[in-house]
Amino acid sequence: MGENDNGEVRILAFLCNWCSYAGADLAGVSRLQYPPNVLDIRVMCTGTISPYHVIKAFQMGIDGVLIAGCHIGDCHYIKGNYMTYKRFQVMRDVLKFIGIDEDRLRLEWVSAAEGEKFADVIKGFTEQVEKAGPSPLRSGWEKDPAQWERIRNAFKPLETLEPA
Amino acid sequence: MSIKEKARELLEGEVDGVLGCRLVGGSHLPHLFTAAGIEDMAEDYPEGERYPIASIVRRLQTEDPGVRIAVVARGCDERSLIELSKQGQVDLGRVVILGLACEGDLARECGCAEPYPSEIVDGQRVEGVPDYSLVEKMDRMPADARLDFWLSRFGSCIKCYGCRNVCPLCYCKECALEDAEMVERGRVPPARPAFHLIRALDMAGRCVDCGLCEEACPMGIPLRTLYRKVGRVVEDNFDYRPGRSLEEKSPLAVLGTEKDLE
Repeated sequence: MGENDNGEVRILAFLCNWCSYAGADLAGVSRLQYPPNVLDIRVMCTGTISPYHVIKAFQMGIDGVLIAGCHIGDCHYIKGNYMTYKRFQVMRDVLKFIGIDEDRLRLEWVSAAEGEKFADVIKGFTEQVEKAGPSPLRSGWEKDPAQWERIRNAFKPLETLEPA
Repeated sequence: MSIKEKARELLEGEVDGVLGCRLVGGSHLPHLFTAAGIEDMAEDYPEGERYPIASIVRRLQTEDPGVRIAVVARGCDERSLIELSKQGQVDLGRVVILGLACEGDLARECGCAEPYPSEIVDGQRVEGVPDYSLVEKMDRMPADARLDFWLSRFGSCIKCYGCRNVCPLCYCKECALEDAEMVERGRVPPARPAFHLIRALDMAGRCVDCGLCEEACPMGIPLRTLYRKVGRVVEDNFDYRPGRSLEEKSPLAVLGTEKDLE
């Protein structure tokens, strides 16, 4: 991703280790096609994602942020995703008030068995973000390949453990 | 009984100090009175001179966890104290609130819904006139116009941290606004809109709409409009209003239940 992308928009996807990351893995090994313009960040639980991460992603010029975690009731940490859902509602509405389109932030529940759903979510979200266009907070960094690298360097350290 | 008489009475043994105001060079400044100094306590509390009294209570209690104090508090101060108490920052069991109702222009124009505390010692209860006209006007604007508006306002920020420093609900020892990963050092204006978004999202479930931030801002950034929207988002989504009651749990401070998904 990144190096060989062909998509217009850039998306940051926070995937929970136990469900959605495994779902993404399944989509990969099943050779399902989905757009390559996504930088995925594996976190232990979507509940660990602070609004600061989302703010930072948009500030760095990301066009869309996807948060994907276990279905309600399936959270590895019992109730982490309830927290995510509450935070998501506040982030979505406040970002919208500032002028960052609500279409640029999405929350989805994708289980480890839902490889197909994962591919569909990425496809659907990419289309949605493409419709919204490049983020107005981008500052011409599409001409600066180093920015994508900076984004990667800023978020990849959130992946602290090896995959389960 | 006036606030001062009540303070005198409390100082006879019920509390160690009374947090009120003292006239210094024509200004009313916050002051912690003991029985020995209570005669210097100001009788009036002018509307233009408000302070983050709840922060002072929090700091006094941090320094001396055993201290018992009475505090002259307006509606917003009481809401701040309640919210701080729910977040474990203040022990209300050792605080006596001497309620001061806002009157006149302050009550009408400050724009908070409840310009009075739950028990009033001084002042007449006047219903507030909550003003959401700016919030609603902005809600109706197209997204790109909203973004332009906020980016231009945030562009005047001189990064003085006044909004954070005066905020009674800002108590973190480590602040994201000072984290170089989030906010680049030495850059003015700070990253837009990240700097102000950090504060806005941190105000969710906290902001009691005291308006001190906007009063403190030397650049006139309409912070209160932003945080009022945040307050409304929290109320619409979770039916929670910070500082309203001691019993209600702050939605973003507890994990959640099935009810939150409805």
